[in-house]
Amino acid sequence: MKPIAITGMGCISPLGAGVAATWSAMAEGRSAIAPLSGFEETDLKPMPAAQVADFDPAAHFEPARLGLLDRHSQFALVAAREAAADAGLEPEQIEAMAAVVGSGCGGKETDELTYQRLYQDGKSRVHPFTIPRGMPSAASSQVSMALGIRGPSFTVASACASAHHAIAQAALMVRSGLVERALAGGTDAPFTYGLLKSWEALRVVAPDTCRPFCADRKGMVLGEGAGMVVLESVESAQARGARIHALLLGVGMSADAAHITDPDSKGATRAMRAALEDADRPPEAVGYINAHGTGTRLNDPSETRAIREVFGAHAEHLKISSTKSMHGHALGAAGAIELVATVKALKTGILPPTAHFTTADPECDLDYIPNRPVRVEVECALSNAFAFGGLNAVLLLARAP
Amino acid sequence: MKSDIEQTLKESIARQKMLSLEEIRLDATLEELGITSLDAISLVFDIEDKYGVEVPNEALKQLRTVGDIVEGVERLLAEKAT
Repeated sequence: MKPIAITGMGCISPLGAGVAATWSAMAEGRSAIAPLSGFEETDLKPMPAAQVADFDPAAHFEPARLGLLDRHSQFALVAAREAAADAGLEPEQIEAMAAVVGSGCGGKETDELTYQRLYQDGKSRVHPFTIPRGMPSAASSQVSMALGIRGPSFTVASACASAHHAIAQAALMVRSGLVERALAGGTDAPFTYGLLKSWEALRVVAPDTCRPFCADRKGMVLGEGAGMVVLESVESAQARGARIHALLLGVGMSADAAHITDPDSKGATRAMRAALEDADRPPEAVGYINAHGTGTRLNDPSETRAIREVFGAHAEHLKISSTKSMHGHALGAAGAIELVATVKALKTGILPPTAHFTTADPECDLDYIPNRPVRVEVECALSNAFAFGGLNAVLLLARAP
Repeated sequence: MKSDIEQTLKESIARQKMLSLEEIRLDATLEELGITSLDAISLVFDIEDKYGVEVPNEALKQLRTVGDIVEGVERLLAEKAT
């Protein structure tokens, strides 16, 4: 495929507000995982979490607007504003853009507060903003309104691959010439009582912390936040003299068609291969993989098998890390936050580590960059997202020319 | 109580995996019955809900056979009674 330029990035994560804060934490291997806060009055079992702390919505939004913004829309807007400003676009360039926002959960905070009123508090009426605030596409609408984006705009949902599918969809629109530029990414705010109970019931949340690829890993740790990028054709970027952070060379998507929660490494293999084929690059071109790496019993060996299958002997030379060990699993936003990590790794030559690393699982026998970042100049990098339900999306990035 | 737990579990498995009750022996492994990890946590949830016990995650991972689940729940109930 024709490379696409990434000219803007924005992010809010448990590691900090903004790309700079998030990256400086990742580049030092600093983790934001801490005991879950805000649910002390409930019967939830103690669990670790990666939450966006010190986030004051009133500092970001006017009161009149705030009433319509679910937490996931707030995150989307903060990241989208930063990405658009970073890209340095003129209003008329923004107006013609597409906006594709991935979200795995949508407006759960709004929905749950509504149900609490009705089912628990015995109220007979709910807030009139319940629908517009909670609808799964709310974040896309809010981003388009706040920035003045009038091109194709919609939400993509594929659980933990939502951001990657959204970015892939946006890239395909840019590549086809349907739009010159697109804003794309993901957002999620899953820290609500009902959702936490639901994750607890699935028995995949670790009681201690997130240790991807380790023998003593006990599961994932939930995160939250948003990440957004501005994509545009290389010609458009060059014509307006924009700074190019990195190139998006290829997208690969596949479905396991196997199980609703258990991963099938064949699906992950197909997605990584598809990204390489899309970019017409050999496996040997890749130096770093930002892994899906959830820290669950099933994902990590399955992803390792898939990497071995795709890269063969070259797998031994790959640097791989899961930054979820630092920012948690932000579900529909995860891929976008990890794309920021991948782009920064390409730009700076600093590869972020897998934090909380102890001893590798014998079934996970590759170089996962334990605990400390490494300095390696890498030409190409993959960012993996393998969702529940076997929906996979992989992005292949390259250093800017 | 044991036969009651056994019966409940076998009925849940039979319903979920579309098997006859006779096919589900106590020494059958979950794997043999085609019970995935997601199936297992849903089967255990049915029992937890009915008997008011909670199987810890670490214990759940050790369960290999139908009999293991029955014994595990029986032990939890005994602990609860004391």
